[in-house]
Amino acid sequence: MDILKISKKDFLSFVDRKISEKKSRIVGVIQKGFHYVFDDLKSSGDLSLDYDVTILPPKKYFQPPKEVLLKFVPKKADSYISVNCYDPVTIIGIHYYDLAAIYMMDRAFSDGERDEHYLKKRENSLLIGIYPLKHYKYRFSKSVVKDQYYKVADLMLVDMGEEYVIEVVSEKGKNYLKGSNLRKNDYSLKEIDQAKTRIKDDQKLPVSVDIASEFLTRNYYHSVWKYFGDKCFSCGSCVFVCPTCYCFDVMEEIDLTLSEGKRIKVWDGCMLEDFALVADGNNFRRDRAERFRHRTFRKVKYLPDKYRYFGCVGCGRCADACTADIAGPNKVFKYILENQ
Amino acid sequence: MSKKPRAAFFDFAGCEGCQLQVANLEEDIIKLLELVEVVEFREVMTGEAEEYDIAFVEGSITRKSDENRLKDIRERSKLVVAYGQCAVSGGINRLKNNWSSMDDVKKCVYGDDSNLAHLDTYPTRGIDEVVEVDLYIPGCPIDRDEFLRMVKELCLGKTPRLPNHPVCVECKLKENICLFDQGVICLGPLARAGCGARCPSNGSPCEACRGTVENPNKNAMHEILDKYNYTVEEIRRTINLFGVNPEVKK
Repeated sequence: MDILKISKKDFLSFVDRKISEKKSRIVGVIQKGFHYVFDDLKSSGDLSLDYDVTILPPKKYFQPPKEVLLKFVPKKADSYISVNCYDPVTIIGIHYYDLAAIYMMDRAFSDGERDEHYLKKRENSLLIGIYPLKHYKYRFSKSVVKDQYYKVADLMLVDMGEEYVIEVVSEKGKNYLKGSNLRKNDYSLKEIDQAKTRIKDDQKLPVSVDIASEFLTRNYYHSVWKYFGDKCFSCGSCVFVCPTCYCFDVMEEIDLTLSEGKRIKVWDGCMLEDFALVADGNNFRRDRAERFRHRTFRKVKYLPDKYRYFGCVGCGRCADACTADIAGPNKVFKYILENQ
Repeated sequence: MSKKPRAAFFDFAGCEGCQLQVANLEEDIIKLLELVEVVEFREVMTGEAEEYDIAFVEGSITRKSDENRLKDIRERSKLVVAYGQCAVSGGINRLKNNWSSMDDVKKCVYGDDSNLAHLDTYPTRGIDEVVEVDLYIPGCPIDRDEFLRMVKELCLGKTPRLPNHPVCVECKLKENICLFDQGVICLGPLARAGCGARCPSNGSPCEACRGTVENPNKNAMHEILDKYNYTVEEIRRTINLFGVNPEVKK
C-alpha cells in the first residue's frame, strides 16, 4: 500500500475539480443542524470531515430506501423492463466502521443469488475513508472491527493538521488521485498510527468478540429479551440507522390508469411488527421480546457464524437513535452479565 | 375491467377538508374518473344516486339524524370507506366527549343560542360505532396518495392495508433530527406512518392524526414521559386531539 500526502488546501481544490468534472456524483459528509449526513457536495466547502457520526450510514447509496427494480404492463407477460441506475458515485469521509459494514453488505449481496442492483452500484463507487476526528459517546468500533475496512476502501485519509496522509488502498484509488498535487510522505509510521487512533472510544463490547456468539447462545432464554422487549416501541429506528442491516421488502405499485406498474424495493426491518407477518395473518415473531432477541442474535451470532466477522461495527447509531434507550448492544451484554 | 365501480362521497360533522383533498387531486382527478364513476359528491357536483359500489364517508356522527342517514348509505352501498380521521375515530370533534355534559359544550361554543333546536348534539362517534366499515383511510386530512392507492387497490380487487409501523421509520428515512433530541415530545413512536412524517419533517411534533399502530407500546411511552419529565395528562391531551385513544383501528 502506497502512503502519500497532500495539503488540505490541495485536497479541497482536488474535490472541487472532481465536482466540476461531473464524471461522477460526489458525496461527502455535511452538517445538518447539530448532526451530520452524507449528501451531494456542491463545493468542497460543504465538507465536514471532523464529524462524530452521520444519521444514516452510506449504505443508502447502494441500497436506497426506495428503489425501482423494474417496470411492467399489468397482465402482459414479458412486458417487464429492468430499471438500472448505476451512476458512478464517489463518497468522501467514510469512517472505518462504516467501511467495515459495507464489506459485510458486499458479502451478503454477493453470496448465493447475487443482487446485481446492489453490486453494480458498488462496482461504480469509489470510497474515500477517514479515521474519526471527533469523539462520539456511543461508539465502540475498536472492540469489534478488525481490518476488514481495507477490503473495500479505495483511499484512507489521516488528518495530520495542515495535511492529509493518504493510504492508497486500491488501484482504483491510485488512478483517481492522478492529477492531484500529491507529495511524498515524510511522516513516520508511528506518527501516522498515533493520528489514526487519536480519538478513543468511550465504550467497548463488554465481552470479547470471539466468545460473544457463544455467550449469547447460552442466554437464549435469559430474561433480558423480555426486559428490553417490554420497553421497545418496535419503531425500527435501530435497524434503519444500522450500517449492517440490509433487509428489504419488494412490492408492486400500479399507476392510476392501471396501465403501468413498477416493482420497488424498500427498506424493511426485523424490529417492525409486520416484518415476519405471512399469509393467513401468521406472524412468526409476534412478541417484542422475540424481535429484540432476533436482532441481537443476527448481529452477534448468525452473521458472524456465516461470514466470520462480527455483525455489528460498533458505530453506536442504534443506541443514539433509540427513544427508549435500549438498542445499544452493550446494554444487552451488561444486563446479562449483571443478572446471571 | 368490465364496468367502472360507482363511487359516492358523503359528509357528516367535519371541516370538509378531506373532501377538498379529493377535489384537489389536480390532473390525477381525470385519471381517477377513468377508474371509477362518481355518482354523488355534493361538494363538487350535483345529482344523487340510488346505489353505489363504494361509499366514501367523511365526518363524525354527532346526532340521531346522522345515524339514520348513515345507515341508509350503508344499505345502498356494497363497500363503506371511512375516510379522514373524523369518520375513522371521531377526530377533533371527539374532544367534546371529554366534557361531562353536552349542554356545557353547546354553551361554551354557542353561548345564548345554545338551545336552538338545530344545534342539538350528542357525544361524537366514528362511523363504525354506527355501521359496519370495510376500509379506513385515516389522517387529518387524508393523504392524497394514500387515498389514490386505496382506490386503485379496491379496483384491482386487492385488500388495501395501512402501514403498521410508527412514524419514526419515515423520520429515519428522511434523516430528520429526532424531536426528542431537541427536547420536544413527539407521538411518532406510537403513531401510524404513511404521511411521510410530514409534521416532524417541518419541525412540529407528531400528534398521531392517523391514529396509532395496531399494537402501540403505551407502557414504554409512560417510561419516556417520566424520563423527559412529562405527565401522563400532558400526553393524554395530545393523543386525545384526534380521538385516537383508547381505540386502535386496524
